[in-house]
Amino acid sequence: MARAAAVAAAAAAAAANSHTLLNCNGARSEDVKRSVCHCNGEKNGPRTVVASRQHRQEPFEQAPMYVAVMTYLGFGIVTLFGYFRDFLRAVGLEKCNSAEEREEQKDFVPLYQDFENFYNRNLYMRVRDNWNRPVCSLPGPVFDLMERVSDDYNWTFRLTGRTIHNAINMGSYNYLGFAENNEDFLRTVAENMRQYGVGVCSTRKEIGNLSIHEDLEKLVATFLGVESSMTFGMGFATNSMNIPALVGKGCLILSDELNHTSLILGARLSGATIRVYKHNNMHSLEKMLREAVCSGQPRTHRPWKKILIMVEGIYSMEGSVVRLPEIIALKKKYKAYLYVDEAHSIGAVGPTGRGVTELFGVNPVDVDVMMGTFTKSFGAAGGYIAGKKELVDYLRSHSHSAVYAAAMSPPVAEQILRAMKCIMGKDGTTEGIKRVRQLAENTRYFRARLKEMGFIIYGDDDSPVVPILLYMPGKVVAFAREMLERRIGVVVVGFPATPLSEARARFCLSASHTRAMLDQVLHHLNELGDSLVLKFSRRKYSSRPGLSDRPDFELDS
Amino acid sequence: MTLGDCWKQLNWFYYQYLLVTALYMLEPWERTVFNSLLVSVAGMAVYTGYVFMPQHIMAILHYFEVVQ
Repeated sequence: MARAAAVAAAAAAAAANSHTLLNCNGARSEDVKRSVCHCNGEKNGPRTVVASRQHRQEPFEQAPMYVAVMTYLGFGIVTLFGYFRDFLRAVGLEKCNSAEEREEQKDFVPLYQDFENFYNRNLYMRVRDNWNRPVCSLPGPVFDLMERVSDDYNWTFRLTGRTIHNAINMGSYNYLGFAENNEDFLRTVAENMRQYGVGVCSTRKEIGNLSIHEDLEKLVATFLGVESSMTFGMGFATNSMNIPALVGKGCLILSDELNHTSLILGARLSGATIRVYKHNNMHSLEKMLREAVCSGQPRTHRPWKKILIMVEGIYSMEGSVVRLPEIIALKKKYKAYLYVDEAHSIGAVGPTGRGVTELFGVNPVDVDVMMGTFTKSFGAAGGYIAGKKELVDYLRSHSHSAVYAAAMSPPVAEQILRAMKCIMGKDGTTEGIKRVRQLAENTRYFRARLKEMGFIIYGDDDSPVVPILLYMPGKVVAFAREMLERRIGVVVVGFPATPLSEARARFCLSASHTRAMLDQVLHHLNELGDSLVLKFSRRKYSSRPGLSDRPDFELDS
Repeated sequence: MTLGDCWKQLNWFYYQYLLVTALYMLEPWERTVFNSLLVSVAGMAVYTGYVFMPQHIMAILHYFEVVQ
């Protein structure tokens, strides 16, 4: 009785699907997921769902022209000074602190003259105190950093011995708050470690296939609503080692412009032809599909053996969500296969945390290969690939990662098991669904407040990854340093990971952030936005106080 | 409107200038070099304007036949 009341109270806070309210008792997760999908399908039809999402998805806002000009001006000045310093180092007026060739090798092909090394020596080294900061606590909603200073402009660091306590953590991928050290929650993990130890000392194929791996795979398949799944020890390796097993020479890969390095590496390793289409642009993708089906392979014009469309659930640098229903329609029309990398979206989006398939009300059977990682929402490490039983059985014997990589460590597997059971409600509490709803609420509130303040933000309204555009290199560095002064840890990203003129600060929201923490961060962001002049947005937003607290009912309408 | 406020405002403008031109990332001696270059070029432009402006204005007025 009390539990039903708690469920009702938690659900009433953020208006959600009424069927989820009644069924969300924890026992029948399969029914919950199917009922959510069917509800979205019956009540509205997939087309209405698409229409409402399209209405909310805004294109990436462009900054005023003077911002781009000043960005390039800043980069130009620093590059000129880079050439000047390189000249001083070459002549001998200045000591070279980075790697250089030995005297005997000066006549060989130069090793350190390419642009990457130039950029590293002259731009990154100057400001690298903003990255690789040593963290000395668990990456929860607040964390501790070790204070370090540099005496020679960031070539070397030394730790002062002091710790910065309780800095608010806006950079960790801790979407559901499972990076915690609460004794009650971690009891099963500790017991598991007592039983199995920590190392597996073998690969899955040889003698490292533990019963806990089988349990985990069954649970992941149930969670996602597919036939079967396979888990791997490392998320990056899941992509890069399994794509070569799925496609090969004579196949075509259509990959989104902004795909992650692991997907690109896997695609290149496979030897298939890769064509890149514009980010989330269905016209570009359809044109390429049409051309591929009509013309076939480049010289022989034989039909492609396989066409694989590779997308991500949430793109980690933009926070934009893939247009899943449209891609599935295209895939069915042109008979291609779909590979969705749900690294950031599994557990973080969807009314019960099942990822982008639930967010759009799409049947998970339509996605041929569902891939995801356990690093982000589950507070563990590793990845999975899920889909039809034949696919997963094939991967068990043909994937490099399955055959050669060490199996997942048992305590890590147990952490994923307990996190997943918590989300599904199988552990008998409503903690999981509370966290999913809290994350959705935090995301909506944070994004709405930022837009009101006038920052340029990319991404869909539902994604917990919030990039704030900073553009100019000087401001990027000043932003990171000032936020650390105010005891907030942020991640700023610059050139190689983002386009040259679009440097940004990326905030990752968590279910364990309280409203007070978010308000504190927003207050400091407001101050910094004024003192560093970062509010470039030219949109008009009404600043009615009630607007940001309105519950989101657009998911169902 | 005190001198302190004026100084704070000037400091803020100098900070913005450092951020926009990315001089914020450079070492102090590099900032000095860049600032001296900028000041000398701007100074030369102002001086040239000061020396030649009267002649240019007379030429314009002569062209438009305002002055003979």
